[in-house]
Amino acid sequence: MKKFIIGAVSALVMATSAASAADYPSKEIQGIIQWGAGGSTDTVMRSVTPHAEKALGGTVVMQNMTGGVGAIALNYVAGQAADGYTLLMGAENPLLYKVMGLGDKDYSDFIPVSILARGTPILVANKDAPFDDYAGMMAYIKEHPGELRLGATGPGGLPSVITAMMNTVEGKLDVIAVPYDGDGPALTALQGGAIDVMPAVLGASIEGIRAGNMKPLAIFDVAANEKLPDVPTITSFNDKYNEMLPWGPFFGVFVANGTPDDVVAKLASAYAEGAKNPEFVALMDNRGFTMMGVSGQEAQDFLSKWQQNTTWLLQDAGLTKASPEKFGIARPAK
Amino acid sequence: MDSLLAFFTVFTQPNLLLLVGIGTFAGVYIGAIPGLSVTMAVSILISFTFSWDVYPAISLMIGIYMGGVYGGARTAILLNIPGAPSAIATAMDGYPLAQRGEAGTAIGITTVMSFFGGFIGIAVLAVAAPFVSDFALKFQPRDYMLLAVLGILLVGSLSTGSLAKGIFAGAFGIAVGTVGMDPLTFTERFTFDIPLMRSGISFIAVMIGMFGVSEALLQLHHIGLPAIRQKITRIVPSWGTLRKHLPLSLQTSAIGVMIGALPGTGGDIAALMAYDHAKRVTKNPERPFGKGAIEGLVAPETANNAAVGGAFIPMMTLGIPGDAVTAIMIGALFIHGLNPGPMLMIDKPDMFWFIVGALVMANFFMLLFGLTGIRLFVKIVEMPRAVLIPLILLLSIVGAYAVNNSITDVYWMLGFGFFGYFMRHYGYPLGPVILGVILSRLLDDNWRRAIISEREDLGRFSWGILSSPLSLTLFVAVVLIFVSQTPVWSRAKSVLGRRQGQ
Amino acid sequence: MQDQDYDNHDGTSDATPGGYPDRRRPGELAFAGVLLAASLYLLYSAYGIAGFEALSSPGAVPMATTVVMVISALVVVVRTARLHTFAKETISGSILPRIVIIFTGLLIAYGVLLKPLGFLPTSALFLVASIRLLSDRSWGFVFAVSAGSLLCIWLIFRIVFTVLMPVGIVPEAEIIQFFRAFVHNGAA
Repeated sequence: MKKFIIGAVSALVMATSAASAADYPSKEIQGIIQWGAGGSTDTVMRSVTPHAEKALGGTVVMQNMTGGVGAIALNYVAGQAADGYTLLMGAENPLLYKVMGLGDKDYSDFIPVSILARGTPILVANKDAPFDDYAGMMAYIKEHPGELRLGATGPGGLPSVITAMMNTVEGKLDVIAVPYDGDGPALTALQGGAIDVMPAVLGASIEGIRAGNMKPLAIFDVAANEKLPDVPTITSFNDKYNEMLPWGPFFGVFVANGTPDDVVAKLASAYAEGAKNPEFVALMDNRGFTMMGVSGQEAQDFLSKWQQNTTWLLQDAGLTKASPEKFGIARPAK
Repeated sequence: MDSLLAFFTVFTQPNLLLLVGIGTFAGVYIGAIPGLSVTMAVSILISFTFSWDVYPAISLMIGIYMGGVYGGARTAILLNIPGAPSAIATAMDGYPLAQRGEAGTAIGITTVMSFFGGFIGIAVLAVAAPFVSDFALKFQPRDYMLLAVLGILLVGSLSTGSLAKGIFAGAFGIAVGTVGMDPLTFTERFTFDIPLMRSGISFIAVMIGMFGVSEALLQLHHIGLPAIRQKITRIVPSWGTLRKHLPLSLQTSAIGVMIGALPGTGGDIAALMAYDHAKRVTKNPERPFGKGAIEGLVAPETANNAAVGGAFIPMMTLGIPGDAVTAIMIGALFIHGLNPGPMLMIDKPDMFWFIVGALVMANFFMLLFGLTGIRLFVKIVEMPRAVLIPLILLLSIVGAYAVNNSITDVYWMLGFGFFGYFMRHYGYPLGPVILGVILSRLLDDNWRRAIISEREDLGRFSWGILSSPLSLTLFVAVVLIFVSQTPVWSRAKSVLGRRQGQ
Repeated sequence: MQDQDYDNHDGTSDATPGGYPDRRRPGELAFAGVLLAASLYLLYSAYGIAGFEALSSPGAVPMATTVVMVISALVVVVRTARLHTFAKETISGSILPRIVIIFTGLLIAYGVLLKPLGFLPTSALFLVASIRLLSDRSWGFVFAVSAGSLLCIWLIFRIVFTVLMPVGIVPEAEIIQFFRAFVHNGAA
């Protein structure tokens, strides 16, 4: 008991003097994961963080905090002290919160510790669909207007962005958009025939494609993917897509604005180290994610470019609640 | 054939055996505490077992899963507080038994029946996984919607009091389930422009409040009464009892496997549907349902444990989670360098048979831990109420917070606790509220998907139902159950009965 | 056994809800009336989600369910109003005895204090106050039981399940780090 009291007291003393970053981390760090357990953000974060912990020499306790398309977690972390003891582990969605009317905070209230990896979108179809590639699908839509059922995951989700790209390039497509609450359930529905085509992230569909349970129509990238070298790129069908690509969802670790620079630097190097771990690299590669591992100004630039491109794309497709202009997001230069 | 040998891996390696055992033991207690869930435990194990090999990690998770699904029944019987949503139906007849001092008998029968249901689930997984998952994939949004309607019709049999009050409770539950930002369009529903309402109301918080807090407040009325002494004799049910309930337990296990195998529905719905089924097919229970009918324990407990094997079916064959726990296990396999998906069975058949073996072992451990240590558990109810009630309240608060690390959930939990207290006093059943919350998303999302897929055309929608054998079967079931609950039917039946009597 | 006695009106088993089939409990009509009013308001609110825009609108199911709520609440009000009250019961005697009101107050106080004060102090206060209220045991017993059970709950939820309860005024993370370092150094 005596030891406990001494411990508690000295811990208190430590707490009051722990403001300096030299001994960071002097206590455990909370990692708030924006999405639910078992999702891809969750899996990526839980597999990179143990490696980063080693480099950091501290403990990161990860918690899932779901709701409001991730806005609940974002607002929670923004509301905590900016001391580097609360990390936000999230995906790309917050960059669309403002224009989608989902919240008034986004990653501009945060400093990126590391943008870990980027996913590649792919268009997949039910294995019995009456077409085999992107061109065939377009022809089918022209012949059967209002028949094709296209999976969606709510405004601002990856399918909505891909659909906006297709609408921009090909003109308004006459299809039925069936909403699901995530790409997992939507891909299940695709295999059961409830929807015909689904824009998904490569990682979520790669196993289904390998097994022949769904067929790939086109990869939304400028170059073929080494995981699926036979799948044609979307630009090979229509080179207008070149302007918008490469585009993809990403995963990143963030801390609130105002966090001391040396703390951010420590975290950034720890996560950079963790992201280099061969096991993690192999795991990401297996799922078709492109490793990025960028931080600092490079990450800031990536975020603002991503936000400009995507918000204006959605704005031009008429999918936003408020114009990006209102939030000072400039239209990307052509 | 070599891969079949993987089935025995867990039996031959003492460390794996030990991990399954530890997992199952921990699972029983995790399941028993409302607010500690298997989902939470398994997602923490991902970090904990990060540097382990995949077999030990999966062994531990499977043990916790199997034990946890079973453990929920413990507190449902002893305290009338279901430790997990899948144990709601168990409380309905389990607690009345405990009040007669027969908690031992009730726990004994739930343990053996959970074992039986678990075994059926595993057997179906081992033998027929590809067929079942093919069938499960066939379910279209309209079929899920019909399934939800079927579930909502259970309101009638979940409440024996006033039907109007039961219907109100069920509709209220559905409304509670829709609160917050709609996940399909992000429209705000019933949020009254309060930011806190946007994330919706956690259904675990509703459950803990309605069952935990309202029960504790109710117990305050009887603070002076001594605790009911429990007879702990004859825990293991007799062979005759088991044989008598064999047909029912087979049927409810089948319900459990199927509902478990469907992506998007799990053990909670399975248990409630099984309870309803038992009530429908049992002609003369020894005791009426709601007063301690053994059938009311057999049905939900076989079904929710059978749903465990069921949930693994789409996971192992297609990489599609059957429920929240298997969703996390898929993540775990992925982290351990495997590629869960349809190719897993072909690339790594060992993994499949290893999991089947571990499930069998976990099921045996569950039987072992279920039938021992009851005495200790029963001591909980024999604790002085002055200590028990504050502890239940504190656990309810921590449990509600733990679901999503949110204080808002604690406020909801307390609010629903007070509301549930009045509902109990005035004869409104609580089961339908929980049923409504569970089914709300299933009904709402799939109704909208179904009607959107048919371009908002009711005619095309109806044709879709009539032209698909699966939808038609579900539709006929809905109609039959609905008619059988209306007064017209019982009048017709009594007329028919009289004629036959003459 | 006395359980048979309260079995009928307390809703002890959820499958056989409380109340009496042919009598009205004190406050029952008012409760039904409040439910009806709330249902009407929710119906109005559900209409506000999307009106009659489309069959697939986010407001469709909420509107349907609130209509059912209004109708069933109306039936309940009418039926309840026809029943006679139960003479032996009073609100303060059977529905809301003093002890329940006190506990309601305690729980509300808990909810209010949880964030500013933190989990450990609030829970300790709650346990001590409520156990002392309910039993006539000594303060020593009350403190021992409260501290022991709180420690168990904290260890399970905070350490094993890493649930980050509000810390408030107690520097939990620092204390944990101290022990972690302690164990670490001890082992090394």
